[in-house]
Amino acid sequence: MNLLADQAGVTQAVDAPAIWTTLEALPQLPNRLVGWIGFQMNIPEWLATLLGLLVSAAVVVGVFLTCFALVSLVERKTLARIQNRYGPNRVGPFGLFQPVADGIKMLTKEDIVPYKAEKLLHLIAPIMIVIPAVLALGVLPYGKEWVPVNLELGLLFFFAVGAMTELSVFIAGWASGSKFPMLGSLRAISQMVSYELPLLISAMGVIMMTGSMSLPAIVEHQSQYNFGVLSNWNIFTPWGLVGGIVFFIACIAEANRCPFDLPEGESEIVAGHMTEYSGFKYALFFMGEYLGLFAISGLFITLFLGGWSAPIAGLEFVPTWLWFFGKLVCVIMTMLWIRGTWMRVRMDQLMRFCWLFLIPLSLLTIPAAGIWKFCGEGFLAGLLGWGVTVPFLIVPYIIITVILNRRLAPATRQYHFAE
Amino acid sequence: MIALSILIPLIVLAALGAIWKARPVHSALFLALSLSLVAVLYLILGADFLGLIQFSVYVGAVAVLIVFSLLITRPSDETKEIARRPQSMLAGLLCSVPVLAVLVYAVSFSTPTEEVAAADTAKIELAELGKTLFTTHAPAVMAVAVMLTAVMIGAALFARDINERES
Repeated sequence: MNLLADQAGVTQAVDAPAIWTTLEALPQLPNRLVGWIGFQMNIPEWLATLLGLLVSAAVVVGVFLTCFALVSLVERKTLARIQNRYGPNRVGPFGLFQPVADGIKMLTKEDIVPYKAEKLLHLIAPIMIVIPAVLALGVLPYGKEWVPVNLELGLLFFFAVGAMTELSVFIAGWASGSKFPMLGSLRAISQMVSYELPLLISAMGVIMMTGSMSLPAIVEHQSQYNFGVLSNWNIFTPWGLVGGIVFFIACIAEANRCPFDLPEGESEIVAGHMTEYSGFKYALFFMGEYLGLFAISGLFITLFLGGWSAPIAGLEFVPTWLWFFGKLVCVIMTMLWIRGTWMRVRMDQLMRFCWLFLIPLSLLTIPAAGIWKFCGEGFLAGLLGWGVTVPFLIVPYIIITVILNRRLAPATRQYHFAE
Repeated sequence: MIALSILIPLIVLAALGAIWKARPVHSALFLALSLSLVAVLYLILGADFLGLIQFSVYVGAVAVLIVFSLLITRPSDETKEIARRPQSMLAGLLCSVPVLAVLVYAVSFSTPTEEVAAADTAKIELAELGKTLFTTHAPAVMAVAVMLTAVMIGAALFARDINERES
């Protein structure tokens, strides 16, 4: 096995074990199988293309629906562990069949449509929530070879279809014909619209560095190695670190997860826009939410954590899609950890945090990325880049957080009877 | 061609629905549908960037804005009657007919410049688009930016006034 770096600082895995190369090609197996069968049966070319597209879509949907079932169980188990409980452990060994039981329960529940609801829109809303999530999952590069749809404007496509979610949340809230869904959807939309800004702005630095909106190209740019060993992920640069953290926080808010899960905080505003939904429509909302969570976590990995690339040179023999899904597990587990340990923020705190903290910070990453790109590559240039961009980011950060926001920070509470 | 002949009547129907529906929220949703179908039209014609931007701006921002303002201002059932009054129809015609006339004039009498006609519309690099936007069309971009800044400051001032009155 020869994994040594060549002169250009780019490593290449030569003579990787056969098992790994086979695993690398595993996600293409259904596609190749269908292609082979089509070739044997001599079907026309357009039909073969159509079948190929359908199969790649089916692979993505199948993989992520399985992930959805698993994560719904893992989430409950993890939260239970954090709260010193057992979690679901009745159905099957270690409660492994809990998702199946949940699915059967959801499918067989009565589908209630409120008397005052707009029947058609009430039906459309849950479907419209799932569509953008699935579309967004279709453009992510999961592996070097595994890119379901390779779009030149993949990043823009991702955000454009994501825009549909807000409208469907509104439709869900409005069509229910009841005031709690309406209030919940208003809160959800205002949160989503606000947090989309830091999300987009912090992604801007990545586009500047790569010079492309194609997601595979962005990963390709990060999959090179500095000094032959260290990976070139965006999060390992000053602007990328700040942008990545802002992006991650905005991701959590976009996915409506704790500590930003106000729109459906059960203890606050019932179940938000889903209050009047039951049975399978409710399950569809959950599915859309989890698929959206996978999509946005996948985008975070693609933009900042190097997508399918290995963290250090020499580990590239592991199939690229395994890296991607390993990172996805880490990101999701971090989100669960945050959910288990953090308290929910208040509505005004939520908005203030976005507009007065995240947006200024994300705006800073754009000029910082510009300076970084201007400094160029190499050891000395990197040193110069760190030297210039770190003060450039830290000084305004202190001004924003400490000085400008001091007036808005909650006062230190005086506990008169505690002492 | 088949796709276009299906799509364009749908766009027109959705636009008519936006005008004809009595409830403002329905109109707004039809407007969003119509605008997103226009985005699909751009995508079919090969203008990927324009199509995606159309979708994210009009469906993601403008439609949500309209819907949001409708909800905050709480249009009552009276709006239904107001919308069907002859005076309001006349006012609507007075506003829309000149715009339509200008648009028809502009579209039918404009000829593509040599550059545009020569360019391969299917393959325009995004970077090139950006460069053109910030060099050739820089004055227009700057004018829009100044206008938007002024609008934002104005909105902030209005909001501040309301807040002070309430407190």
